[in-house]
Amino acid sequence: MEFVYKTLKSIIWAYAKLREKLSPGWILKNSSRIREWELMVYAYSKSPIGVIGGLIVLIVFILAVIGPLIAWEPYWEYKILYDENLRYHPPCLPPSCSGYPLFGTDEWGRDIVAMSLYGFRISFVISIVVVFLGAPLGIILGLISGYKGGVVDEIIMRVTDIFLAFPGLVLAIAFASVLPQRIRGVLETNSALRAFFSGLFGLRQEEYGQLAALLSIWFAMVIVWWPGYARIVRGSVLSVREMPFIEAAKLSGLSTWSILFKHILPNVLSPVLVMMTFDIATATLFAASLSFLGLGPQEPVPELGFVISKAGGYFPERSTHVVLYLGIILLIIALGWNLLGDALRDILDPKTRRAIEYRLEKEKKK
Amino acid sequence: MMNEITHLPEDIILKVEDLDVRFYTYAGVVHAVSNVSFYVREGETIALVGETGCGKSVTTRAITKLIESPGRIEGGKVLFRRRNGKIVDLLKISDEELREIRGNEIAYVFQDPTSALDPLYTIGYHIHETIIAHKSKISKKETFKQAVNLLKHVLIPSPEVRVKNYPHEMSGGMRQRSVIAIGLSNMPRLLIADEPTTNLDVTVQAQILDLLKKIQEEYKMGLILITHNLGIVAEVADRVYVMYAGKMVEEGPLEQIFYNPQHPYTKLLLRAVPDPTKKIEKLESIPGVVPSLISPPAGCRFQPRCLYAMDICGRQEPPLVEVESEHRAACWLLEKRGGSK
Amino acid sequence: MEGVNVGLASFIARRIITFIPTLIGVLLITYLIAYAIPADPVRAWVGEKLMNPETLEQIKAKYKFNAPWYEQFIFLIQQLLTGQLEDPVRHKNVFTELTSRFAVTFELAIVGFLFLVLIGLPLGIIAAVKKDSPVDFAVRVMALVGSSLPAFVLYYFLILAFFNYIQTTYLAGIPMPSSACTTTLSSLPQTIPVLGNIVSAIGSIPMFGAMMCGEWSIVLDTFKRLYLPGLALGLLNGGFIARIVRNSLLDALSTEYISYAKARGLRKLSVWRHALKNAMVPVVTVLGLNFGGLLSGAIIAETVFNIPGLGRYMYDAIMRLNFPVIIACTFLIAVIYIVVNLVVDILYAVIDPRIRY
Repeated sequence: MEFVYKTLKSIIWAYAKLREKLSPGWILKNSSRIREWELMVYAYSKSPIGVIGGLIVLIVFILAVIGPLIAWEPYWEYKILYDENLRYHPPCLPPSCSGYPLFGTDEWGRDIVAMSLYGFRISFVISIVVVFLGAPLGIILGLISGYKGGVVDEIIMRVTDIFLAFPGLVLAIAFASVLPQRIRGVLETNSALRAFFSGLFGLRQEEYGQLAALLSIWFAMVIVWWPGYARIVRGSVLSVREMPFIEAAKLSGLSTWSILFKHILPNVLSPVLVMMTFDIATATLFAASLSFLGLGPQEPVPELGFVISKAGGYFPERSTHVVLYLGIILLIIALGWNLLGDALRDILDPKTRRAIEYRLEKEKKK
Repeated sequence: MMNEITHLPEDIILKVEDLDVRFYTYAGVVHAVSNVSFYVREGETIALVGETGCGKSVTTRAITKLIESPGRIEGGKVLFRRRNGKIVDLLKISDEELREIRGNEIAYVFQDPTSALDPLYTIGYHIHETIIAHKSKISKKETFKQAVNLLKHVLIPSPEVRVKNYPHEMSGGMRQRSVIAIGLSNMPRLLIADEPTTNLDVTVQAQILDLLKKIQEEYKMGLILITHNLGIVAEVADRVYVMYAGKMVEEGPLEQIFYNPQHPYTKLLLRAVPDPTKKIEKLESIPGVVPSLISPPAGCRFQPRCLYAMDICGRQEPPLVEVESEHRAACWLLEKRGGSK
Repeated sequence: MEGVNVGLASFIARRIITFIPTLIGVLLITYLIAYAIPADPVRAWVGEKLMNPETLEQIKAKYKFNAPWYEQFIFLIQQLLTGQLEDPVRHKNVFTELTSRFAVTFELAIVGFLFLVLIGLPLGIIAAVKKDSPVDFAVRVMALVGSSLPAFVLYYFLILAFFNYIQTTYLAGIPMPSSACTTTLSSLPQTIPVLGNIVSAIGSIPMFGAMMCGEWSIVLDTFKRLYLPGLALGLLNGGFIARIVRNSLLDALSTEYISYAKARGLRKLSVWRHALKNAMVPVVTVLGLNFGGLLSGAIIAETVFNIPGLGRYMYDAIMRLNFPVIIACTFLIAVIYIVVNLVVDILYAVIDPRIRY
């Protein structure tokens, strides 16, 4: 834990020195903020679930980035065309077995470990982008709605309610089933977009049909995700808005936008950050569920949920290893984010921070 | 333990001896109440005075073991004479006997009525359940009637309507009066009121105080009044106890405390109250801040702010010394002067 | 409870009024999905089946594919609100199938909800009472794993355990009450007005219908069929519910009004009543929303466990690109969900008098 604390602290100071270079005197002006960060980082390093969660997330991130690059089998080759034995071959552990992939193969004879490397990239990109697009969208709308009030508030809240009137999965399914046609058309004509998104997801450009399905899922999920944030942020803004320091800011002539971003947002941010972290876990499983139902990319793209659903047809006679292995991967990814979110929630709670502060003081004195 | 001397002079209904309450927090052990002793006679009003955080509320809650973790009552005796004449140590009796006494023979009026009332239940229901917790054979109609009566007593207009109100449907002042009504519902031997009139406007305040006095006379009810307001103290108190930083620093009859205060803190407190008939240039205040009670200083706790501080004040705690009959103060100045005026 | 009526009645009235714009919004979104978004709506509605041009033109005219958007919108509203959406290819009213499917989903929702409450509530209360004990820790772990585990993986392994190894359940069809029972129940509205309608409606749900006719073997059979997905749903969400119950109860127990209740010498039971009632407020909301979610068709559970409910119906429609069914299902599920939310809000106002304004 010491190591974690030292590493994170050096990152904070590197950032501080950078800001200092850009605008001298920054460190002095922000010394109390830096101290808060140090405290939070200390609290984080002391939380075992936080460190474990962070570690898992880091590993998942690394695998997501390098996965498609180091995968030793291309996903678009149907290995069973060469060797029928390869279909759903169970895990092959030496010395009783040799010549076949260690953890077994999927329906097309592909090494599921290699396929999971592609899967990491796809799941990671989708979950991150959905939350990092849906959340800010919802946050901004929530800020405006809560702060302005009146007609603007009514309209935004009505729209939010309408979207929230659909259960998430149902809404996503509905959108994801109609969007692929359109998106496919766009990708067909626009090569730049095609190249960009294929690269992003680690797929070949030839798979743009499946890419369209993938982007449909993504789009559908963003639609499902933003209303939740709008609601929550609006609620927080409503309670913060009446506080004297906001009135003071207004009286001193600050523009609406600076009030929103410099004063209201920081106070509203903590629970939102925690929610975003949990949401990445939820989004990962949500996307996998949509693929499981057949709405995502089809053959040959090895999206985790999709491969599991195909394996379902041969379960449990032949494909237990596939369901188990890929299921555990999804479990670990979601677990990492959930643990991180749990730790974050504790850290950002001011009461626990004070307790940590006392402990830190005592340790420093030793 | 059962045969310890539980002797109480005839007219005393409550006697607290050497009460010690500590809070075990992440920042350390807070000595909230240290060696506090006081007593209350039948029909008497005592005022517990001191600034915020001096331990007044904790002391009164500790009397009936209402202290929750991380707080712990670490020592002391609380002798109480029950209606049936039996004398018990409230800190040592069974939970069930304690429950019988709470709300029935010793009642509380909490400081913040808004948080004391359960928002999901009406005022009438609060009174109803307080009564039936201690009387078995009584009908809902009867408790309802009593509830309306009680609300009328505390001067709440249209009590038949108000009795069906939820807390959020009433004003702050009405809530405060309701809590007083709930406290009186079982005609307790002792009423412990924590700032019972702060939110009320002056005329209502006066009426409530009159009411309490009337009930006291009629039912010989003892009253412990916790307050900052020395004006009220002057109105109703028979004796005054002054607390500072968890310790009792002065105690005595009303006139003694007001006209012959001995402890420097008491003197400053009295000086801080402006006299409306005199014109003054500046409001008096007491310089400095209340000390942290985590590792309380060795000597007198008021020493850092005291104008008359001597060497010994920083080293040793002064004992309570008798100044006159029933008037005592804890200050080395008294020892120096031989303990009397 | 005195003081309930006027405030509550007006709250309910106001809440129902806000139902209407939401419904219109839902219709609007359904319209977008049905007509506006698909690149080739006609193709989407008709599916991949080859049609001769004449029939295609007839369909285009009937479904107003060539008309301006407001006409299309009105047409869609009519169809959906009267429950008359017709599949252009198969010439069947989609909604007739939907009602029987919904009844099955309702059964599943009840069983799942039962498990959820039986697992979540007691665990949550114990975790609160025995704070920081191993039970508390276990609840935390359960909530964590429950929200990290992909549902379908759990379902597969439960099936492996309880169907493949220990044969305590089966995975086809849904037990139905005898035809004698169903005919009796469906004829009730004619003999007894109003009450007959209500009883008949409740009886259309197979499990309840069987109960009313005293066919207890059918009821037992239903549990045998549905306990596995019910258990799975309970396990997945139980930890989460338990945590909410625990936190809510701990919050309630540390309030001033609980201290005040003790200071008034209330019996332990009365003190607990105060704490539980207050704690239940957020819990009821969460449970209600959860039930709403179950009612909206646990699509994945129905797919894996082969339950012929609403969710499964929608899934099949997606697989077969049966567009009218997807639209009708989306709409119906949304309506169910809004209704459940409405009921939850009203329930909340019944419990907490502060909300009624």
